[in-house]
Amino acid sequence: MNKYALFLGCTTPTQVVQYELASRWVCKYFGIELIDIKDFVCCGINQVNLNIETGLLMATMNLAFAEAKKLDILTLCAACTGALAETIEKLKDKATRDRINEKLQKVGLEYKGKVKVKHISRVLYEDIGAGKIKREVKRDLSGLRVAPHYGCHYLKPKSAFEGFEEPDNPKTLHQLISATGAYPIEYETLGFCCGGKVFPVSKDLVHSLVQKKLDDLMNREVDAMVLQCQTCYLMYNDWQKEINEEYSKRYNLPVILYPQLLGLALGADPVKELGLDLHTISPDKILAKVT
Amino acid sequence: MNKVKEIAMFKQPVSGTELDRNFNSEVKAHEDAKGLNACFGCGTCSAGCPIHEVFPEYSPKKLAKMVKLGMRKQVLSSPHIWYCATCHNCEQRCPQNVKFFNILNVLKNMAAKEGYAPPAWVKQTKQVMKTGIVFPTEKIWIKKRKELSLPSLKEDHQKLKKIVELTAINKIKPRADSE
Repeated sequence: MNKYALFLGCTTPTQVVQYELASRWVCKYFGIELIDIKDFVCCGINQVNLNIETGLLMATMNLAFAEAKKLDILTLCAACTGALAETIEKLKDKATRDRINEKLQKVGLEYKGKVKVKHISRVLYEDIGAGKIKREVKRDLSGLRVAPHYGCHYLKPKSAFEGFEEPDNPKTLHQLISATGAYPIEYETLGFCCGGKVFPVSKDLVHSLVQKKLDDLMNREVDAMVLQCQTCYLMYNDWQKEINEEYSKRYNLPVILYPQLLGLALGADPVKELGLDLHTISPDKILAKVT
Repeated sequence: MNKVKEIAMFKQPVSGTELDRNFNSEVKAHEDAKGLNACFGCGTCSAGCPIHEVFPEYSPKKLAKMVKLGMRKQVLSSPHIWYCATCHNCEQRCPQNVKFFNILNVLKNMAAKEGYAPPAWVKQTKQVMKTGIVFPTEKIWIKKRKELSLPSLKEDHQKLKKIVELTAINKIKPRADSE
């Protein structure tokens, strides 16, 4: 089924619209129909901190909205993907589902357990496939060396994703990048977390985590980072300047989202269709290598 | 390179009389924390923890042991329980299938009820009730979406508000001291 409810989450539609723009373009290109459900709310992942039940209820509300329209969900944010997939997993238990539904019924909602959640990269990987992507490539990206970053909740917990990925040795983003013609590098800190979920509590911890990965990448020949989560994007992109000032570093590494890289390969307009002009670290270096 | 403040979890060794023998059971009573007993303290969780790597004082293994010993006050008042980046490495790699990430959430929920919630999370919940997302709707974002012909965002989510109120999460007060 190439029709999904598009789950935008909180951050993408407000602060990283280029991710949404490029994702919509790429999906349209491959005939993946995206339905906007205005009732969707925050996935609840952060509310779990204060009250696990609130998080569970918020995630289930979203599942119920999609189920009412007989749609599976396509996510952009890794964390939303994890939160919703974990909730689906938890609600397979009838007692839990009944307890949650009893509360949801107070606002006229019910979740029967029929929704699947897939991140956009997983949809591209499974529904479209690297082979098909490769055949559609219109620009030459072979001069690009990029560092993939998966996003923790895209991979873990493994049990919530039907064993789709191998968290300690992931491959899907590497293959999706290869399909565009660009070269995905291997690097030691590949699995290192961006720290996005601890940012509201400690910016210093995030700064340390971000430096760990950027220091590794600074020692390698790499043109950009390619991500599949807007929160990871904000951590690696937005903090570079501040870390440079505070810790005397000289980071200037462009960070882009996978649908932007894919769109480039497929011939999309870099500005109008992929929003590559909206990046604070200019991706001109990348564009110069694309022919 | 690390500017994270070192916070001693307790200044003096904790004596037996200060321990709360029921704490372990209290935590495990929650369905999300049932597996804690299976932990045999191998430390795989800490070894794979990115926060532990940049801030060694933070350690999932240590927190798990503290719960088992009954160090109720020290655990619930500790800023450390809020330092998890939710990467799931600990539960993914645990040889005993202990879901420490979930146990930590149980601890955070208990701490929040007792007045230790970080202001940022309390603020975020209030925000979600207003706009349905964790951010206020800023004019600049609305304008940008319009320019790019992206659909407008709905702001009023009454169902969410009611659901959130059912769990009383909105009654949680932030801890008095700041970070």
